[in-house]
Amino acid sequence: MSLDNHDTRFSRRKFLLGSAALAGAVPFLSACGGRSDAAAAPTGPPKRGGTLRVGVTGGGASDSLDPHSPVTNPDIARVRNLYEPLVYRDHDFEVSYLVAEKLESSADATTWTATLREDIRFHDGRPVTPADVVATFRRIMDPDDPKSGAASLSMLDEVTAAGDRQVEFHLNEPSAVFADYLGQYSLGIVPADFDVAKPVGTGPFRAAEFTAGLQSRFVRNPHYWRPGRPYLDELVLINFTEDDARINALLASQVDAIDQVPVALVDVLRSDERMRILSSETGTWLPFTMRVDRPPFDDVRVRQAMRLIVDREQMINQVLAGQGRVGNDLYAPFDPAYASELPQRTQNIAEARRLLAEAGKSDLDVELVTAPIQAGAVEAAQVFQQQAKAAGVNVRLNRVDTTTFYGDNYLKWDFAQDFWYTRNYLPQAANGSLPDSPYNETHWQDPEFIRLVRTANRTSDTSRRTRLLKQAQRIEHERGGLIVWGFVNQVDAHQVYVAGLVPDRTGLPLSGYSFGQVWLG
Amino acid sequence: MFRLILRRLAISVAVLWLVTLLVFVATLLLPGDPARAILGQQATPERIAALNDQLGLDAPVWQRYLDWLGGVFTGDLGTSAASQGPVTELLGGRIGASLVLLVGAAVISTAGGLALGTWSALRRGRAVDHTVSGLSLVVAALPEFVIGVALIVLLSTTVLPVFPSVTLAPPGEPVWSRPIQLVLPILTLTLVVTPYITRMMRATMSEVLDSGYVEMARLKGIPERVVITRHAVPHAIGPVAQVIAIQLAWLAGGVVVVEFLFRYPGIGQALIDAVNNRDVEVVQAITLLIAGVYIVVNLIADIVGIMTNPKLRAEVAR
Repeated sequence: MSLDNHDTRFSRRKFLLGSAALAGAVPFLSACGGRSDAAAAPTGPPKRGGTLRVGVTGGGASDSLDPHSPVTNPDIARVRNLYEPLVYRDHDFEVSYLVAEKLESSADATTWTATLREDIRFHDGRPVTPADVVATFRRIMDPDDPKSGAASLSMLDEVTAAGDRQVEFHLNEPSAVFADYLGQYSLGIVPADFDVAKPVGTGPFRAAEFTAGLQSRFVRNPHYWRPGRPYLDELVLINFTEDDARINALLASQVDAIDQVPVALVDVLRSDERMRILSSETGTWLPFTMRVDRPPFDDVRVRQAMRLIVDREQMINQVLAGQGRVGNDLYAPFDPAYASELPQRTQNIAEARRLLAEAGKSDLDVELVTAPIQAGAVEAAQVFQQQAKAAGVNVRLNRVDTTTFYGDNYLKWDFAQDFWYTRNYLPQAANGSLPDSPYNETHWQDPEFIRLVRTANRTSDTSRRTRLLKQAQRIEHERGGLIVWGFVNQVDAHQVYVAGLVPDRTGLPLSGYSFGQVWLG
Repeated sequence: MFRLILRRLAISVAVLWLVTLLVFVATLLLPGDPARAILGQQATPERIAALNDQLGLDAPVWQRYLDWLGGVFTGDLGTSAASQGPVTELLGGRIGASLVLLVGAAVISTAGGLALGTWSALRRGRAVDHTVSGLSLVVAALPEFVIGVALIVLLSTTVLPVFPSVTLAPPGEPVWSRPIQLVLPILTLTLVVTPYITRMMRATMSEVLDSGYVEMARLKGIPERVVITRHAVPHAIGPVAQVIAIQLAWLAGGVVVVEFLFRYPGIGQALIDAVNNRDVEVVQAITLLIAGVYIVVNLIADIVGIMTNPKLRAEVAR
């Protein structure tokens, strides 16, 4: 999110861990500080001016500037720089305040009150009012045309203005971590009279030109609320559908930074002294998903065997070329409640064979549906296929294209994969592990688990909530349908003269596309 | 001859119609639908329903096809599901950009191929001939993406950083406003096509040079330059025109790969995107265009063949 946070990270983290982290009102500290983690990067105070050209993966004719339905990476990059939500997860995956300066919950966690920043203005100079925030959420939750943020805001009943700087969120069920749901890039605050043809927000850049499928040019927002920001005069975001074209453009200095470096090419770029690799540890995961309500995975022993078959170290080394960390069949590694005390699961072929024999599935034959949904997905399936042979399990790969994967059969495959960015535990469970989740790939509906998660959602007391979440994780670790073999590093690259990019835990490339903090040396 | 051309045109229209039908069915057979493809992972049933409603994808398949076909006759290629704007708007600038590539590569490779073929036929059996033959065989065996990647390594990124490796025209500005960006894509296409033309020209030219009328012309003491331009080349052109036509028609499809590699904002890139988005109307428009190029180029080749062959010319005239 910003350079400034870097200096205050340790004290702030301790504070957040020790308190009701999400409800805590941490003032945004704004003091310019030096930074030294990118070796030989330009030093000294940030310089103003210049144009940053960024090559972004993906996109196409369906590109849009809509603040509330970003789909592809270029969409997300644009949304991140034009608009801002009330709060957002920063580089360290902690809540930071953008349009709001404060967010507090009532004692029962059913009403949350956001206080808007004083003097915050839209690109056209008009101040942000509570009425704008109310209209923004009306646009997102429009029943005739729900935007992508709507699915995870099912607990939100009503948004009302209260006074000239406050907005109240009334929930239909208590949610102790509502701040997390608000802190999404697809919930940017826009004026009440918003029209996508005139894309006005509060982000560090204003839209100047935009051509779907090709590129967009943004210019400095003179009304930006962070003093001195952004440093750049201009930001050009360029779509690249092909990996080689993106790398070549960087090598030929046609762009200054690119997202998503294929892991096989990291060493090539590293050997070029004009380039810098930006590798971020994230909570992004690429699980295998086993449907717990269909044979053969309805037998918990089969699921346990499959989890024991995986050689996680080998996965990280072969699929990610070392750019990742092993997983323990649990998600949300940055959640303060993450169950790090559970023993790390490792490959145990003998035990897997025993479990399969016990289940009467000694010569198991399964189909694994895979697609290039994310770099490494197909490779992970191939490595797993090899590893499974050791336990006598025959894995047949059914490789489809991405559109087919997310087509009619998505969430219906018996054994497939999926891809998730960093989330904390409760938002992730709400998205994928509850019976009413929009993306419950494994059809997981363990009554005990559901009860624990529902209770935790209502619990404002942090230590009690943590206890409940640890119990829930124990259940998933023991009998869940996900094989979380690892967390993927986000690897990007930029020219050496690009400064201000720092590792980011959210899983979004290039410091979460926070180009407001970037400057050119 | 007009009757022949008219008949060929009628057949061409029928072929085009068949192509649209096949492409329509093929795109529908692909699993997944536009709404899901466009919304990606975040497709919830409510959002899919809303988008399907907006795009008019609820209508029965045959009705969608007939609507589209009716539109084609009035110059309306329909609405792109992905961009939610008219297809003509989406493709307008891209067709021009692709044509620049096509025409550039066609002109250079035709002229170059004819010249190289003639030259090596004249020096049959000598080192030059062997070099040209060998090189053209090697290059002809390489697929276009290999040539493209090799050129990028040689002339853009690693060895000699002279030309840009991707096309980055700002929106609104035509690609040809920065000609240096066109060099590598055009060079790639040219290298793919030229060897075939060269080899064909060399073969027919050798045959013609051995023929009686060339020998006769030489014996009459006509200067060698005139022998070649007036007597030999016109006879060699007929068969070569067919090969050139096939190559140019191939270019219309080969442009897809090259545009992908060089991030060239033409119809090839749009086609890949449209297939991924299951954007039937855009796929239809582009395949119609590529099929159109195939047919027109082949028609022209036939006409050239007829015109340059006195025997055929007379037969058709009768």
